Parts: sequence; structure tokens; C-alpha cells
Amino acid sequence: MVQLLAGRWAALLTALFLSGAFAQVEERVKACAVCHGADGISTLAGIPSLAAQPRIFLENYLVMTREGIRGAEVMQGLLKGVPDKEIVALALHFSKLPEKFPQGKTDPALFKRGKQLAANNRCGSCHLPDFRGREQMPRLAGQREEFLAEVMLAYRQNRRPGGDTIMAASLYGIPEADFKALAHYFSRLK
Amino acid sequence: MKKSAFTLAAASTLAFAIQVAYAQDKPKPPPAWHQGKPPALADSKLAPVAGKMTETAAADIPISKLKLPKGFKAEIWATGMVGARAMTMNEDQTKMWVGTRGMGRIYEVSNEGDKRTHKVLAEKLTQPTSVYANGALYVFAIDKVLRYDNAAKGAAGEPVDMTKAFNLPPEQHHNWRYVRVGADKKLYVPFGAPCNICEPPSKEYAQIRRYNMDGSGMEVIATGVRNTQGFDWHPKTGELWFTDHGRDWMGDKGPEDELNRLSKPGQNFGYPYCHAKGIVDPDVAKGKKDACKDVTLPVTTMGPHAAVMGIHFYTGTMFPKEYQGVAFIARKGSWNRSKKFGYDVVTVKAGPDGKGAKITPFATGFMDPKDDSFWGRPAYIAQMKDGSLLISDEQLGAIYRITYQK
Repeated sequence: MVQLLAGRWAALLTALFLSGAFAQVEERVKACAVCHGADGISTLAGIPSLAAQPRIFLENYLVMTREGIRGAEVMQGLLKGVPDKEIVALALHFSKLPEKFPQGKTDPALFKRGKQLAANNRCGSCHLPDFRGREQMPRLAGQREEFLAEVMLAYRQNRRPGGDTIMAASLYGIPEADFKALAHYFSRLK
Repeated sequence: MKKSAFTLAAASTLAFAIQVAYAQDKPKPPPAWHQGKPPALADSKLAPVAGKMTETAAADIPISKLKLPKGFKAEIWATGMVGARAMTMNEDQTKMWVGTRGMGRIYEVSNEGDKRTHKVLAEKLTQPTSVYANGALYVFAIDKVLRYDNAAKGAAGEPVDMTKAFNLPPEQHHNWRYVRVGADKKLYVPFGAPCNICEPPSKEYAQIRRYNMDGSGMEVIATGVRNTQGFDWHPKTGELWFTDHGRDWMGDKGPEDELNRLSKPGQNFGYPYCHAKGIVDPDVAKGKKDACKDVTLPVTTMGPHAAVMGIHFYTGTMFPKEYQGVAFIARKGSWNRSKKFGYDVVTVKAGPDGKGAKITPFATGFMDPKDDSFWGRPAYIAQMKDGSLLISDEQLGAIYRITYQK
């Protein structure tokens, strides 16, 4: 808690506390933890880790899910009618969780190919060279491999609406095998 | 290596039931996308600016930072419409509909004299906009067209799905659409190039079309249009003037955005080969000597990466005489540039044939060049019956009203 209240977010959190939203947010965090892990590190296939994701990315994702535009049905159900201020608090909470991503076994050839593809496609331009993400652009480093591969495919197949369409355009024409290599590479980064 | 990729694919498909999509994946992907980013910019970290998807209260909007010419005043007219873009109104301006992108909503705003209230009319749509005409509200999402009948006093009930009649192409990038109804009672609908710079994958893109109100009689009226985000008809000539975004990743200087004039249907505006006032594209027009041949050049360029959005020719009486027939243009502001540009509303004064165009800043202060920060992104302009102008701010989901008093 002390860590959470530190820095420039203190005022926002205080305001949330005074508005009575805080207790509700704590309850909601528990609900998220069932799938995404108490520390925001997912151990379930197909479920993304939320720890250390950029705050704005999480905020946008939660809003789009609440609006029924994105996300799994179970998440749309959990977020139905959740007010903006609680979404802001949830996003802040998960963005502050430490990066303790588990390290899976690395396939050196696939990793190398993924690294090359990431350079060719200039993924680091937006997601930053260490792929920690920023603002509305998610962290890729340490994210679950199968989740990343599926998300890239979903973008390319126009199954991931909302926000800006530039991601779908950036993945246009990239074969699925390349998504596998990219996902392997990103997931093995710290 | 191929084998390991295959094994991994097979394993994931078996293991993770959540990945349902593989069967839909076409075996033969189209050729690699032209990102158009040269080696010199390979390490650039320029990226699109983050939008805001939560509501902003009026008290949190720094409207006092707006700078306007002498005698003009800005006030907050409506708030809470996250991602507010194009505005359309009924005849007596008691109802307004405001579209969005990522929020997927069409808001219906009730203008009750001194105050505004709003509700969500439609939701879960892919980047919807709307246009009101003759008692009906037409909603255009990237992949859908809906019509609400009897909307003159507010839209309600289930809309009629008109999607089939419009033959919308599948790619989504740059395909949020600005839609208007012309004096010819036709729907004017643009289809952007689904990439930064490329030969579009089919002839359905990089063009402006018009349709009869039921979707029949489609005509392509302009080609070579990369990404127009707004248009209006000249009050004297009735000709269509439209904004168009220049391509990215060619550096800070441009190619600049455009303000174009369609003087006869079928004109070609240059994309992807010829940009701005005759810049030949370095990626797709290499060695093409006639890249700009038969291309209609813009009335004026509008600044590098400025993101020119809505245009409105002023026809009211509230503003001083020199604003009569002048085009007000919102520039949402740049991302693909090392220093921000735009984030303002400008006026363009030109002859009816487009000659002698002069750009003058009108509403500034959304962005602070000292530290490259910004708080608002002006997107569209609408005129009220009293001659005041409304400006929508996509960043803060608000609408501001500009009035003039001597």
C-alpha cells in the first residue's frame, strides 16, 4: 500500500478512497486475480499477464471490454457497468505490479527468428526496443507466448476491433508461423 | 526451423482451446505490407498519440488556455462523450448525434437551450459515425450501415440494417468514414487506403464514393485519396472540398496534408504515387516518370503530419464579414514528427476556384510548443443557427462553442 500511494498517483488514489471506490476496487482486484494471478502474472493458458502493463493500455482495454467491444465474455460480464473511476484505479493497480515473469524453456532457433522478425517489422518503434510498451501500446516482454500469438492473429483477421486500426495494418500479410516466432521471442524477454 | 514452428503450432492448437481462430486463417497470405519506413528512421520511436477512453468532467478541461482572435470567446458546450468526433444535427438543432472510434458508440445529445444532456444511442459498433438527413439517422461503422427512421425528435427503436447495399470492403485501417449528404440527396462516403503507403489490395480503397440514399447507384467520384477525414461543399460553387492526410515515415517535413477541391467527378488526387504539391513517392513510385501526371493537386497543403480533419465553410452572420465563405479546418495534430504540429483550428481563405489560399490560425492553445505537450485534439466543426461554431475535441470527449461579440 505504501508503495502504491507513493509518487504522483497519491492524489488520485486519495480521491478514489474518499469517493468510496477504493473498497470496491479491492474486491474487483480479487476477481481479476482468479484468472490473471494475484501478482498479475498469469499461469493459465490463453490468459494474459497484467503486471507492469502500461496504465493507459490497461485502462483502454478495460473500457473496451466493458463496452463489449473486446475481451472474453467472462470479462465483459465482470466489467459490466463498472464506472470509469474504478477502471482507472484497476489499471493503475496492475500497471504498478512488479515484472516477475516466469522464464519458460527457450528454443534458440525460434527465438533468433523472432528477434529478426521483430527488427524487420519494427515492432520496437511503438512497443520500445526492450518491448516494455508505453501509453496505449502494451508490454510484450514476458507476456504469455500462446496469448501473444493469438492476439497477433486476431488483429490480422480483423477480430480485434476498437482503438486504432494501425496494429491490424502493421500485421497485414505476415504469415501465422511468423507470429509464433515473434510470440516466442517476446515471451522470453524480461 | 520450419519443423519446430510447425510442432509449436500443433501443440498450441491442441493445448489451448481458447485459440479458436486457426481454422479461419487463410493459408495464402497477401504480400508483405509496405510500411514505408526507411532505414534512416528504423530506430525512430514515433508512435500514435494515446487517446483517452474515460470521461472528462468540464472542471478538468483547461478551456481558458484556448487562444482566439479578438472578440471571439470559447465555452464548454457539452462534455462526457468519450472520443467525440463528427457531429450531425436535426433541423431545429435540438438533437445532435456524435460518433466515435474505439468507444464504438453513437451519442445522442439533447440541446436544451442552456444545457446539454446525452445518452448512448448505439454501441458495440466498429468505429461508427452518423449523418442525419430528412428525418432519418444513418449510422456508418467500418463494417455496417444502419438507418434509424423517424429520428427528427430523437432516434429510437431498432435500426434498419442496410449494410448489404453498400458493399463495404474488409480492411479496417483508415476506414473510419466521414459521411455527409449532398444537395443532390446522395450519401458521400470515403474509403481510405488501408495502409501507410501501398498499392491498395483492391480497387475498393483510396477513393470517395457517392450512393443513392438506399445504397444503390454507387459512383466513384474521386480516386487517389489516401485518407480524407472531412469534406464540405463550397457555398458559392457547390463543389466538394475535402481534407486528406499525407503519408507517414518520410520525415518531419511531410509530405504535407492536403486541402483538395473536386471540380469534376472522377478526378485523381495522386495516392499512392504523388503526394502534396507533386512529391513523387520514394517507395511505390520509384522510377515512375509520370507519377504526378493527370493528378489534381491540392488547393493548398495543410502542414506536415497535421492530421487535417473536419472542414466547414462559414455561412453564419455572427462572425465578422471577413469570415463569410471562409473554410474552418480542424487539425487534430501530428504523431509522426519529432515536434508536434497542428492541434488547432485554422481558417483557409481562397478564391472559389481554390486560388490564392491563405491559412490563418484561428483556435490555438490546445498544444504547448514549449514542452510539446497537449490537452485537446480538435476534430470537427459544426455551425449553429445563431452563427456560433461548435468544435468537437476527440481527446477529452467534449464540444466547445465559439461565439463572437464586437
